[in-house]
Amino acid sequence: MTNLTDPCLLTHSQPQGSPAPLVTVQGVSKIYPVLGRDPVVALHHVSLEVAAGEFIALIGPSGCGKTTLLRILADLDQPTQGTVQMAGRSPQQARQDRLYGYIFQAPTLLEWRTALQNVLLPLQVMNWPAAERLEKARTMLKLVGLELFHHNYPWQLSGGMQQRVSIARALAFDPDVLLMDEPFGALDEITREKMNLELLRLWEATHKTIFFVTHSIQEAVFLSTRVVVMTPNPGQIAQIIPIDLPQPRGFETWKDPRFFQLTTQVLESLREVYA
Amino acid sequence: MPNPPPATPPWLPPLLVGGAILLLWVPLMLLTNWSGSQDLLARGNADCSSVFACAFQLRNPIIPSPPQLLRGFYQMATPLFSTDTVLFNGLITLGETLLGLALALTLGLLTATLLVMSRASERMILPWIVASQNVPIVALAPVLAVLLGQYGVQGLLPKGIVAAYIAFFPLSIGIAKGLRSVPSLQLDLMHTYHARAWQVYVWLRLPIALPILLTSLKISAAMALVGSIVAEISIVSFAGLGPMLLSRSYYSDMVGLWVIMLVAAGLGIGLVQSIDLLEKRLLFWQRQR
Repeated sequence: MTNLTDPCLLTHSQPQGSPAPLVTVQGVSKIYPVLGRDPVVALHHVSLEVAAGEFIALIGPSGCGKTTLLRILADLDQPTQGTVQMAGRSPQQARQDRLYGYIFQAPTLLEWRTALQNVLLPLQVMNWPAAERLEKARTMLKLVGLELFHHNYPWQLSGGMQQRVSIARALAFDPDVLLMDEPFGALDEITREKMNLELLRLWEATHKTIFFVTHSIQEAVFLSTRVVVMTPNPGQIAQIIPIDLPQPRGFETWKDPRFFQLTTQVLESLREVYA
Repeated sequence: MPNPPPATPPWLPPLLVGGAILLLWVPLMLLTNWSGSQDLLARGNADCSSVFACAFQLRNPIIPSPPQLLRGFYQMATPLFSTDTVLFNGLITLGETLLGLALALTLGLLTATLLVMSRASERMILPWIVASQNVPIVALAPVLAVLLGQYGVQGLLPKGIVAAYIAFFPLSIGIAKGLRSVPSLQLDLMHTYHARAWQVYVWLRLPIALPILLTSLKISAAMALVGSIVAEISIVSFAGLGPMLLSRSYYSDMVGLWVIMLVAAGLGIGLVQSIDLLEKRLLFWQRQR
């Protein structure tokens, strides 16, 4: 399907013999008109295929369209060109079928609701029976290690705990795909590493397909099965680097020589940004 | 380590101002009553022997002296369970005001919801809401009374409706602003859940509008009180502070007018303070920010 007439188009297919991709992004462009100036090209002919259960890290400097791509997947933005499919559905259909959970950079908790009530919110929207949703919300809070904080309000929780609540909230209705937009960007280094370990544990336990936007090369390599390196002006995919670090990962991974090789490789492919 | 300054109890500052008013009261009373007091002394038929003493017992002082005011209040507040007392009539006015506020809140929520529903509905409704506030309430009240009288609506309700008429304006504008001030990320979040419009309204927009709603309610409470007294005066009524005010002013009973005025002020302060308490209970989640 490679469009040879367009040198900008990079198609990255799955290896032969793998199952049909869960998420397909095909030639997606996003152009924002700017009044009185040239339009901004946020995404330029981006194509990507992702299999179920993959952990995709999207990395690149600000303005390379990582968040735009995530928002298009979530039907929060519409592409100017190209198509997106999630489990054979359009993003709108996927949203209506509650196929994905979105985790924003800020925890985006409702301040007048306790941790438990915040996790209950999507289940209330989706009209779950009262007893069932309460049980599910409790289980989810336990999963993220907040079983002792059910009745705390967001302002009574630390930044890391708030983000854990928002992860529990996104997982509560059991979506197949998690779209995470720099979820740990506002946290300090130590909390961030702890959250990375917890996220890995969650991913191993739930087999979700995860799209994870980050600015951190270490985080991207540590977590993902593939790192998608993006460059700005216009936002496009520079390279896709498979991460063959052994699973399950943990403290040892950070010390693995292969870990350094891979982070260097990501750094290399970001080189044109530094130039 | 520097010691934190001792905390001032919240009742102290207003009490200090109250003390200052009390201190100013007597000098001001003397000043305003001085010429009347001179006249009284010149006539020679009063049982006071100096301008200073006479200023305390004018029949119609511009500002009553503290004993006069207390005596006036006692006379107007007793017998306790009579329907002529300033307290009973104050309760009537309070009832009209609360009824008006309830109506205004319902109407305000309704119009605010219509205002934020679409640009088109805002452009259709907003000019009329603004225009409605330019109708003089004194002129409107009798018309409303006759109109409602035709359908047998009497008692508290006509005054409540007039009170609601002026009180609903700050409420509808305030609530509309509150309903619109939802952070876009929270709207995005609800969008990803494929939430219905009513779910976004009940679980997101209403809680976010609550702080502005309560602030608007305080402004509206004061306006509704004025509205119901004006309505009592301009619609024929037999109970409430309005008719009391009317008859006392007919007889130039200055002490009585002062008592009624102070009771009305007390009602207003009580209303706003109650909403303040309600606000502290409802908006507990704002305190820690």
